[in-house]
Amino acid sequence: MGRFLLDCAVNGARVRRWIDPSRTMLEFLREDLGLKGTKEGCGEGECGACLILLDGRAVNSCLMMAVQAHGREIVTIEGIKGRDGGLHPLQRTFMEEGAVQCGFCIPGIIVAAEALLRRRPAATIEDIKLELTGNLCRCTGYEKILSAVELSRGDLKKKGKG
Amino acid sequence: MKLCEFIRPESLAQARAVLRKLGPKGLPLAGGTALHFMPGKVPVTAVDLTGLGLSYIRHKGAFFEIGAATPLSDIQRHRGPRWAMHEICRRISTHQIRNVSTIGGNICRVFPWADLPVVLLAMNARLVIYSGKLKEMGADEYFSSQPARLFRGGDLLAAVKIPVLKAHHGFGSVKAARNAAAFSMVTIAALLELKDGRIAAARVAAGSAIPFPKRLPSVEAALMGKEPSAEVFRAAASLAGNDAKWCKQEGMSAEYVANLAEVSIVDALERAAEFARGRTE
Repeated sequence: MGRFLLDCAVNGARVRRWIDPSRTMLEFLREDLGLKGTKEGCGEGECGACLILLDGRAVNSCLMMAVQAHGREIVTIEGIKGRDGGLHPLQRTFMEEGAVQCGFCIPGIIVAAEALLRRRPAATIEDIKLELTGNLCRCTGYEKILSAVELSRGDLKKKGKG
Repeated sequence: MKLCEFIRPESLAQARAVLRKLGPKGLPLAGGTALHFMPGKVPVTAVDLTGLGLSYIRHKGAFFEIGAATPLSDIQRHRGPRWAMHEICRRISTHQIRNVSTIGGNICRVFPWADLPVVLLAMNARLVIYSGKLKEMGADEYFSSQPARLFRGGDLLAAVKIPVLKAHHGFGSVKAARNAAAFSMVTIAALLELKDGRIAAARVAAGSAIPFPKRLPSVEAALMGKEPSAEVFRAAASLAGNDAKWCKQEGMSAEYVANLAEVSIVDALERAAEFARGRTE
């Protein structure tokens, strides 16, 4: 089986590893790098629990081969922090709004919301709904999640990103 | 499908040469979102097409040219004079998949549920293929059967050219699906050209509820020379069964699908007529 020297950035740090070209990005992050915040839900790109940022865009790491990240920048939920290294505004508002129940889907939802608010800081509720189309939550019923993202948008406007 | 190697060519010529050499053991790879659903136990060598400068949208003369490796989310966000491609792109799968999935990946191998071939047939798009040199092909020829036939020798899709709609042209598309991210049950696209208040030209295409996307010539013929009205659209849509044998789907009889298709044709035609009268979104 061939090998590939993957050279990319993960959460701001350069990573160089020989990998099997058939390894998914999800396997690479969780099993090779120990970044367990990225979750495996459906494994088919339907639930959004495995979302990461690839060059600032939210993508399903279960559908992506790790080799496709060569020369690119990855941010996982572990890399989404506030400026002081503490909680990101999205993480704070999710706590304040009670938007987390079992929590399994939340890393993916935070990543999706972060991608949207980086691109469109004044996102409307329709923008938020569209962006979260690919994220399934079976606990909360979404209302509190939408409220948390909306609230965070205001927070980001006041304090600047992260 | 398993990968044994990942090759990153630096030019279209290099990519084609590698694919020609590899034959069936090579796989051109762009977004790669369908990789997990493709059969095949024998590992293949993936040839990455994302570093070849094929991700762009340019307005060139009478066409918008879209590079084959352009993600669907870029097409969804793009705006230009009388641009209509965003409408269907925002209905394809989820935002996260549209960030990776490319226009080329959607149309080089056509799955039954694919939406873009329907739109490109209606729009009379042109496909630019690299076979050592660039050559163009109309959508009717390109989608006459599975396009994968065109790429077996290592040739590659380089770009898709969409005609810029003129002031009296209108375009509409409708995708009927169970939810926002689901595969299509019926996709319809329609292009109308109006002249002196009448339909001077029409291209109507369907997909998903039939084995392979195709135009609906009986519907198109019934529109010619008529005033664009709900009555005319309903009468034309009722002829769609002459052109397409609608297939039953999970939880739906063929009769229900035929009815859904007719309603979708009317909706797409109404959207196209509104567009021709000035609607832009």
